[in-house]
Order: sequence, then C-alpha cells, then structure tokens
Amino acid sequence: MSIYILRRLMGITGVLVVISMLVFAITQIMPGDVANVLAGQFADDATIAAIEERLGLKDPFYVQYFNWAVSALQGDFGESMVMEQPVSPMIAEAFGRSLVLAFFAFILVVIFGIGIGVWSAVRRDKPTDHALSMFSYLGISVPEFFWGIVCVLLFARLLGWLPSGGAGNLSEDGLLGWSAHLVLPVLTLTFTLVAHVSRLTRSSMIEALDSQYVLNARAKGLPERHIVRGHALRNALLPSITVLAIDVGWLLGNIVVVEAVFSYPGLGRLLLFAIERHDLPLIQAGILVIALVYCLANLAADLLYAFLNPKIRYGQL
Amino acid sequence: MRTLRDFTSDSAHWVKEQTKVDKGATLLSVEEMSLAYDSDAGRISALSSVSFDLKAGRTMALVGESGSGKSSVAKALMGLLGSNASLKGRAKLLGTDLLSLPEEQHVQFRGRDIGIVFQDPFTSLNPGMRVGQQIAEPLIWHYGADPEEAMRRTVAALAAMGMPDPEQVATAYPHQLSGGMQQRALIAGALICDPKLLILDEPTTALDVTVEARILELLEQTRNDRNLSMLFITHNLGVVNRIADDVCVLYAGEVIEIGPKDKVLGNPSHPYTRGLLASLPLLRGERRRIAPIPGGFPDLRTRPSGCIFADRCPFAEADCTSTRQSLRALRPGHEVRCWKSESTGAWPEVKRKGTRARPVASDTPILEARGLRKVYHRRVPGGGVTWEWKAGILPLPTLQTEALAAVDGIDLRLERGEILGIVGESGSGKSSFGRTILQLNGAYSGQVLFNNGDVTNLTEAELTDLRSKTQMVFQNPDSSLNPRRRVGEAIARAMRLHDKVGGGTREDVERLIERVGLPQGYYDRYPSQLSGGEKQRIGIARALATGPEFIVCDEPVSGLDVSVQATILNLLEELRDELGLSYVFISHDLAVVGHLSDRVAVMYAGRIVEIGQASQVQAPPFHPYTEVLLESAPDPRPSAVRRENKLQMRGDTVSRSPAGCAFAARCPRKIGTICEETAPPLRTFDGGHTIACHISPDDLVRSPQYPESEKDRTSDSQ
Repeated sequence: MSIYILRRLMGITGVLVVISMLVFAITQIMPGDVANVLAGQFADDATIAAIEERLGLKDPFYVQYFNWAVSALQGDFGESMVMEQPVSPMIAEAFGRSLVLAFFAFILVVIFGIGIGVWSAVRRDKPTDHALSMFSYLGISVPEFFWGIVCVLLFARLLGWLPSGGAGNLSEDGLLGWSAHLVLPVLTLTFTLVAHVSRLTRSSMIEALDSQYVLNARAKGLPERHIVRGHALRNALLPSITVLAIDVGWLLGNIVVVEAVFSYPGLGRLLLFAIERHDLPLIQAGILVIALVYCLANLAADLLYAFLNPKIRYGQL
Repeated sequence: MRTLRDFTSDSAHWVKEQTKVDKGATLLSVEEMSLAYDSDAGRISALSSVSFDLKAGRTMALVGESGSGKSSVAKALMGLLGSNASLKGRAKLLGTDLLSLPEEQHVQFRGRDIGIVFQDPFTSLNPGMRVGQQIAEPLIWHYGADPEEAMRRTVAALAAMGMPDPEQVATAYPHQLSGGMQQRALIAGALICDPKLLILDEPTTALDVTVEARILELLEQTRNDRNLSMLFITHNLGVVNRIADDVCVLYAGEVIEIGPKDKVLGNPSHPYTRGLLASLPLLRGERRRIAPIPGGFPDLRTRPSGCIFADRCPFAEADCTSTRQSLRALRPGHEVRCWKSESTGAWPEVKRKGTRARPVASDTPILEARGLRKVYHRRVPGGGVTWEWKAGILPLPTLQTEALAAVDGIDLRLERGEILGIVGESGSGKSSFGRTILQLNGAYSGQVLFNNGDVTNLTEAELTDLRSKTQMVFQNPDSSLNPRRRVGEAIARAMRLHDKVGGGTREDVERLIERVGLPQGYYDRYPSQLSGGEKQRIGIARALATGPEFIVCDEPVSGLDVSVQATILNLLEELRDELGLSYVFISHDLAVVGHLSDRVAVMYAGRIVEIGQASQVQAPPFHPYTEVLLESAPDPRPSAVRRENKLQMRGDTVSRSPAGCAFAARCPRKIGTICEETAPPLRTFDGGHTIACHISPDDLVRSPQYPESEKDRTSDSQ
C-alpha cells in the first residue's frame, strides 16, 4: 500500500514537471517579443535591451526555465503585465473564491449523483427511474451557460430572491448575504455534472444488485434495505470514485463559463481576463494551479479507491 | 412474527421455536409445482407439475441438464424468482406453504429455516466484506444476536467446517481464500441459523475433484450430525451417487423418474435416464463408444401433448406422441413417466464409422518437447521493496517478485495420429503447457520440435506457417467466437488467412460445417443463435479450416452437458481417425481423458508425474497423485466401491517443493525427507508406463488396497 502511494506521488510529480515545461514553453513560442510588449511601441533599443537584461531574456531557455521554476516553487510567479502587481496574491484570492464554489458544487454532485443513481437502480425501469434519468440528461445535454441564464432570469430578475451575480464578502454581507451569491452558480454547476455520476452509479449499482453475492445475501433473509446499503452500494461506489475525480477536471472547465455568466470574481474569470490581454505570468500561474488541483484530485481518488478495495489493500494471506 | 429475540448472549445457545422433526418424517412436500416465465418470445413453461417429498435427515438429488428447471425449483422455494415468473402449486415446509407466503413472511424463512449454497463460491461472497461478517449477518438479522456473540458462533461454525484457522478466515476478505475455503465458508453461512433444510445448487461444480470429494464428505457428515435434510441440485451423476439417498430426474421441467438412488442409477427405467448414463465416459471402464442423446430440448412455449421426451427417444412409437404420460410406480417409491419402460431395451449403441486409428511409434514424431520450462513472475506476499533504475536516472520502487514455473521441465513426444491426454487440477500447468507448445505463451526455455524441426525461435513468417499446421480448440466457445461475425465468415476468414484448404469459398466452408455435424445453413448464423454444443462444433470447424496436422484441445467439453459432451468427444475421435490428426487433449476430468486418449499424462505443479497408456494410468501401479485423483473422481455406478480409509491430500491448493518431488508437501504416501530433497527417479513399467516417484516399483505395484478393476467393469450401466 505504501509503495502504491509512493509510486503515485512520483508519477504526479512527473506530470507536474512536464506541465510546467509546457507552460513555460508558451512564453518561448508566443509571437512577439516580451520586452517589446513591455516597453511599448515607441521605446528605443536601449530601453528594450535594459528590460531584456533585467528579465534575463538573453539567457539560454533552460536557464530561464530553471530560474522561473525555482521562483514558482517559492510561490513567486512574477508580476502581472497588465495589472502591474505580483501574480501570486491575485491568483490566491481568486482561487479561494473558486474553491468555495467548486467545493459546494462537488459536495452536491456527490450527494445527488450517488443518491439519484442508487434510487434509479433500485427502482429500475419504473417511472421514478425514467423521470430521474430524463432530469439528469437535461442537465448534461444543455450547456451550462443556458441554465445559468435561465437561473438569473428566473430567480434574480423575475422573483428577485437572489442576486444575479458577483461575490459576497463574509465580513460585510454576513453569512446569509455571502451564501446568497453562491446559490445560483453552485446549482448551475451541480446540475450540469450530476448526470455523469448518477448514470455511472446507476449502472454499477444495477450490476451489483444483479450479482451472485446479492442473490446470496437475499437468500440469507436480510432486509432489502440492508442489502442495498450494506452489500451492493459498497462495491458499486468504487467506479463512481474514479469518475468523480475526472469530474473535478470538468468542474474546473465549467467554472470558467459559470463565473463569466454570474460575473463571479474567481480563478476562471481571472484566467479569461488574462488570456484576453495576453498576460503571460497570470496565464502560467492559473494553468499550473488548475493542473495541480486536477492531479491532487486524481491522487485522492486513487488512494480512496485503493483504501476501499480490499483486493488492493490486502494481498493474499 | 414469531419471537425472534430470545437469543441470549451470555449462553452459547438460543431457544428457537423449533418443531422437532423426527427422522423419516416428511419435511418438505412439493406438490404440483408449475412455473412459467414471461419473456419477449412469449410465455415459457419452466416447470410442469413437479412433485416430490423430502424426508428429514435424507438427501434428495435433483438431476437434470441445463434448462431442465432444477435451479428454478430452488429459487421458487426460496422466494427468489424474478417478477416475470408466475408460480402455481404448493411446497409445504412443516405445514407452511412456501409458495403462497407473502414476501415479508418469506424473508423470515430464508437463511433461518432454509439455507442455500450456490454454485460459484468466487462470486457468491461479497468481495468488499470480511468473510466472518457475511456469515454472522443472518444471526444478527434473524435473532438480534449481538455482534460479538454472532462472531463467536461464526468462528465455531467455520471450525466445524474443518477450517484449520477459523479466526483468521473470519477476518479475511474472500479473495484471500481458495475456492474450497470459500465454499466451506458459504456452507458455514448457510448453516449458521441451524436450518432444517439445506439447498445446494451445484455446490461443487466449480471446484477441483479432490476438493469436491472433501466438500461432499463434509456435507454428508454435517447432515448426519444435525439430522439435516438436503436438496442437492446437480448435473453430475457421479456426485449424485456419492451423496444422495433419493434421486429426482428432471427433463424440460417435468419429473421423469424418481426413486431411491440405487434403483434410479443402478436400474434406470426412463429412456432419458438410460441415455444420460450411456453418454457418460466411465473411469476404468472398458473403452466403448459413448452414446449421445440426439436432438435438444423441445420448445417450451407449448408443451407437447404427448411424452415430452418422445422426439429424442429411440423407443418412441405413435402412442408416445399422442398420449400424455403420467408418473407410474414401478415399485414402492420408484416412479417413472413412461408407459413402456419395462419393454424397452438398453440404450442403442452408436456404430463407429470406420476403424479406430492406431498411432504408430516412428522416428518422426509430430511433436516433441525437450526440457520445456515456462516461468511466470509474481509478487512475493509480504516481500520487500527494491529500487529499480528506469532509463538510467529514475529510481522506481518495485515489489519483490518470485519466479513460478507453470511448466517445469517437460519432455514429451507425440506420435502422428496420437491423442495424448493431459489431466491435472487447476494450477497444474496443463493449459500453460498447451499454449507454450503452440508458441502462444511468449518466451520459454527448452525446445519444441514440430515434425522434427525446431520451432522455438521462429520469424513472423515462419510462425504464420506453423499456425496453419497447429491449431487450438478452446474451452469456452462463447468467448472464443466473435459475436458480431457470422460463423461461416469466421471460418472462411481462417481459411483465407492461411490460404490452405481451398480459397475459403462458401462451398468450402459449408462442406466443413457439414463435416462437424451441422446443417450447411448454419453459415449465416451468429454465435448467439447457436447452442453450447453447436458453438463448440463451430470452434472445431474453425480449427480445421487451416488444414492442421496437430490440435491442442483445452478443456473443450467442460462447459457442456453430458449428452452434448458425448457428441463432441465422438466427433473429435472421428476426425482423428479420418484426417489422421494428432491431439493434445487437456481436461480436468480423468474419465473423459481416459476415454478419448491413447496415452495419458498426469500433471502436477508443472511436472508430469505419471505417463502411460490410458488403461495403464487408470490401473495400478499408480503415482500417489493419480491415485488420489482416481479416488476423488465421482463415479455414477452404485456398485463403485467406496473405501473408508481413503487416501487424502493435505491442503486444498497446489504447493511446490522446489528441490524434490513436486507433490511431496501434499503426498499421502510420502516416505520421508528424501521426497522433499531429491528429485524422484523415473520408474518404468511395461509398455512405456512411467511414474516419477521415490516409492520402490514393488511397493507401487502392490499399491494400496485398491479394488480389483475387474469388479467395476462388470457393473457397467446398461
């Protein structure tokens, strides 16, 4: 088991190194000279040379990469070109807000995805099952910006129950005001992702309920409730864990769109802003953070999977 | 609801409102049970007016081929039929009609009054739950036992099943136990609430014969100790002979013969029962042509108005198809559903087409293996960690592995036209051997010669050429035939790939399909439209498509019903005689191997421990392992003598002694440390019969108190 963790950790480190190289390569490949852009259209050669000197742009690319990687490891991603302030605090603040959004959406996806999946499996081919699968297909088949706009129109404009966008401040708006800003984006994110988990849980749950060991459990005279929870769900959840980890990636992608629709000042919007303005340090830092989150989510899923599956946890006697 | 909570945790006993059942009283009485399933194809009648009585302390065997409805009886009694089933009739367990019980009452009976053990122990245990917890559950739900007390009883129950270390087994997960151990745990679980009735649905079919013998013994002993009644469902007449008091033979959902075991097996009255026995190859039997039952089950959407077996019965006459048959008593307790059973003769023999080919020893054997060794690497349980350098710079933590020789130094030659049987239990390396000689198993050490040419290191082109001359028939035609390709196309493709027999035209393929005993029209069928036996015929046709000289048959009949098995065995024999093929025939079933093969090799842990003519291997002198296999193999003849002090192997799984004899650790006739330390010498007897054993040839010949083989032969079923 410990060997397994060690191997996974080494693998992830490798992936992160490769990603950091790719991210760094952007600066080398992108058209236009950084120094030119920084100095402005009418700068003379001496100014440009000075900037190049200061940023180390004349060094060979591997020296540049090494210097960049060392400072990145220390949390220093340089200065934003457009905002002219250090990237790290900006990223940290936006990432924190996105994390709140992602966290609540993820919890809801877990609860509803697994819940709906199990419920439809137990009521297989009955009206409940059909209704639930239609509901989850609506979520997965229509893009999230549509549901975002529908939510804004319905709850913010028409009913006026919730704010249409922006983020609350915990100290100024209080808990209620803060969470009011979260409800619509979280709901939109959840709705688009729930189908993934619920469809997979439904099929692995059906497989478990049809299995020989469940038949054996029924033959022991155990109540159906206990068979579903104690016998079938335990094994049916294993594949769901893997798909949840992949969904973290989807979640990060969807967050960009949802933050734009609800003008929520998170990492997604910051990244969008950076891309529009070719703000390289900001783009680099944003991509690295997202890659890191994705890797960690997969690591967590693998470890959880290994822990819950006794065939991995315990070898032969 | 009955009072269930009088389980007292301080004493080891609980009081159950138990009706005392006297030995010999009727425990279960099934009356006129009929069952139909609704399917897309219409309503299918699975059982029709099934009636039988099961007495306390006795074992009733429910026998039939797949589709006979025997498992449906068990599911109906347990109340586990699906929602598409409609059930009629009564099944009274001590006065309570199980079939009319509502689900919330039926659930009380399950696991408490009726226990059931299913066929496949590997899938019957929940992989994510500790074994002990799974066994203890019914105690907690039915009697409200507290978990500690339940676990104490579980450990005791496991110990009663002959588990050497019950505490450890209770805390283990299923994948940590061997198949035999898993099945013992399931039996312990089925008996934990002390039920009156134990249903066993093919409980030993997935196990090796030596393990099967031990499980059957355990069941018999348990039944005697507890005055338990058992309903034993099986297709294996040898197992029936071993365990049952009474036999009920089912055919297409109807009871066609019922009576005491000795009568039904010793003096079978219904033509179908006779046919079943005639289609079985027998151990130590004289080599005879086995006689299959032609045809298949009737369409069960509309039951025929006459006898259900009439269209397959060699004795059928006009009256059989017009008159409905009813059970009639031949003698007290022995009933048969045939109006003319006294006047019918023995099951007709099948005439051999042509003569049986005799392989001749020559200078050019078709195949020769020299010092063949195939090694796999597997992780050492609890082994340490080593660091391996990948690409020179990356340290990679690696688990310690050990080498395991699946094939461990085999020298063998196969004459042209010979059938060499290879027999052994799972893990003996017989399949690895078959694949290795066909160059399907990656690198190995030693040499394989085909037609005196070394085929060990061939180029891609040479290998393709070899593949057309050497073919394989697989165990499971379901997974070895592409489900999306018409069977004719599959065969044509094999022909075209090698461009040997004709050009793979439709006529060529149809001729081949006809040759393996199927109508030409089968060209356009998909595998899902064929029965198991038909699929295996197609599997054989595909192997023949390249015009091979040599075929490895890896358990080709082990998934088939006995009557179908007989037709496939006969077909393989005919093809050998006609086309002069040579086979390596791999099977776990000594009777099947002995029936078909010219010579038989017995494998254990990757080595051949005994080899000789088929009749020599089945008669003394024996290698101790062969002897154990023969004694464990179930025999359907009631006269087959059962010895009290049988030879028994130690342990359930193959264990290896690297330096000495492979079998030393489990050998019941081990003579001393020499067995573990020195490789056994080869003892040679008449006619090339060779045994690898330290026991002196004289002692091997005088080998144990084995019954004269003559005695068995005379009592062949008619």
